[in-house]
Amino acid sequence: MGAFRILVVDDEEAMRESLGAWLQKAGHDVGLAPSGAAALEMLSQRPCDLALVDIKMPGMDGHELLKRIREDYPRVMVVMITAYGSIESAVESMKQGATDYLLKPFDPEHLMLLIEKLVKQKGLMDEYHIMQARLAEWDAGGFEDLLGRSHSMRTVFAHIEEVAQTDTPVLISGETGTGKELVARAIHARSLRTYGPFIAVNCGAVPENLLESELFGHERGAFTGAVKTRLGRLEMANQGTLFLDEVGEIGLPMQVNLLRALEEKRFMRLGGQHEVTSDFRLICATHRDLAELVEDGLIRSDFFYRINVISIMVPPLREREEDIPLLAHHFLHHFAHEMNKPVEGIAPEALRLIEDYDWPGNVRELRNVIERAVVVNRSGTIKAEDLTFLRPREETVPFEGTLEQVEARHIEKTLQNCGWNISEASRILGIHRGTLARRMKKFGLGRSS
Amino acid sequence: MKQDTPPADEDALAEEGPFVDPSVRHVEIVPLGDVDGVAISVVAANLQAIMGLPADLLPAVPVPDFALIPSRRQYNALPVLGMLEEGASGDALRLGVMSGDLCLPIFSYVLGEAQVQGRAAVISIHRLKGNQDGTAAAPARVYERLAKVALHETAHVLGLTHCREEGCLMRFSLGAEHIDELSMAFCPECKLRLFLARKKARPAT
Repeated sequence: MGAFRILVVDDEEAMRESLGAWLQKAGHDVGLAPSGAAALEMLSQRPCDLALVDIKMPGMDGHELLKRIREDYPRVMVVMITAYGSIESAVESMKQGATDYLLKPFDPEHLMLLIEKLVKQKGLMDEYHIMQARLAEWDAGGFEDLLGRSHSMRTVFAHIEEVAQTDTPVLISGETGTGKELVARAIHARSLRTYGPFIAVNCGAVPENLLESELFGHERGAFTGAVKTRLGRLEMANQGTLFLDEVGEIGLPMQVNLLRALEEKRFMRLGGQHEVTSDFRLICATHRDLAELVEDGLIRSDFFYRINVISIMVPPLREREEDIPLLAHHFLHHFAHEMNKPVEGIAPEALRLIEDYDWPGNVRELRNVIERAVVVNRSGTIKAEDLTFLRPREETVPFEGTLEQVEARHIEKTLQNCGWNISEASRILGIHRGTLARRMKKFGLGRSS
Repeated sequence: MKQDTPPADEDALAEEGPFVDPSVRHVEIVPLGDVDGVAISVVAANLQAIMGLPADLLPAVPVPDFALIPSRRQYNALPVLGMLEEGASGDALRLGVMSGDLCLPIFSYVLGEAQVQGRAAVISIHRLKGNQDGTAAAPARVYERLAKVALHETAHVLGLTHCREEGCLMRFSLGAEHIDELSMAFCPECKLRLFLARKKARPAT
């Protein structure tokens, strides 16, 4: 029988202590709470697998506690304990979602057999949750999209294998759409934490003022609208992997908070009084040049060095042209199967168009293009006319000049392609807006230049 | 110089007699009320032979009245443990043996109870005398069961928890008759943990 984390909740000290001591002898990790309020406090610090709750307690009784546990900690199993003569109360608890009930005093073997049954039940539930998560991953494209025969991708695969078995933080960099999250998932899948959760947070998509609560969680009443205790992503990643995407978007104050949590794996929820611990492996990703952000004072150097212990660079699709047909055919089969459409191939002229395209949106863009082509296709083969929206890349004209002249020309070209949208251009160039503005000033670039 | 080695094998014990290691803790066995003297001797002999713990037999003391739960006609093991703990001397562990039926407030009965990593344990012979079919167990069988419960509870005092190994003395027993399925031995892992746990605390230097 595996060990459980069990919380015993009873206002009678003798009952609580004797039951706790007996469970400890059985090898379980036991917590003792003299009241419902104390139990909730302990659960907020560290959730348990099973709570043994006495129904009759002053203040918050067992029924109320059961309700609160069901709301805030739905995975915690609750066994109600009641005296002979109050069986109706126990039956009522079962209707409220209790896992089982015991009439005290009960035989020790009765309790042991019940816990043995619950340990097995929890094992099955854990497996179920893992399988559900795996299925969701497959539905989202799974690891299958991380394909490539090119030298650069083989290097990425080799790095994944090397780092997977360690717990060292990894920084994955690469342009938007290159598959940085797939690389992170591949590392998690090959690591010893594979049966733990993979928790992803897109730091760029969460407003700065909400990011703290998202990462660290909050206690009930921590702020207006915090109606119940919520676990943060750091806590949810316990025993698994925490993936912070677009880590370059995190503001300086948050970097300070996060740095301590990442170093000590201990932190406090918003409005919390006690530290909680979480054992996770950290993987970060960014499309920006973090070293440059450090120079610009937008990323703390200690934060940068904490997250950038091992770095993996995912190449843009245009730098691994030999992978384009492979990926295109892979996506074709994937979507044809998913949409149940008999689209079986890509015509040579369509494939040439695909190969000649620049793919600024990288693999994600290719995936979307093939999905769209499969939707509109009626002939069973993707043809050039299905891809009219693709514009072949411009012929590159050799340009001779100094490094500064090349840089100025490249920046100007990018700005023109973006309609002088500075945010978009800085994203494509992989530099901060401020940096781009300084370069534009330096080279005298503007709409009228 | 003597080295820390696991207990000698049976042949060696037969030739030299049980070796009493002065560095290990000893057990004080306290009969609580009117207890069969043979039962006490069997417990002492097994603690010494199986666990290598020297056992001292102390004079009997009455079962404390305050431990009796009249409505259940049982003794609450917790106050009994408290009384035993108070009387233990030095590094000694104290094991109470009684005839009355033992229980805990939450449990309808217990065969024995111990303070994990503490000083005291108590065992009862009451429920070991009968079989599941209602017949009385032979005295030799009762003594063997009592010795197994004594070893199990004493090991709890030394910090051991329940074991999953088939036949190990630290396996949880579903009632008196299940005790018969246990061997009179600890599994290798529990034996090692016991060997490490039975040492006296080193005096502070």
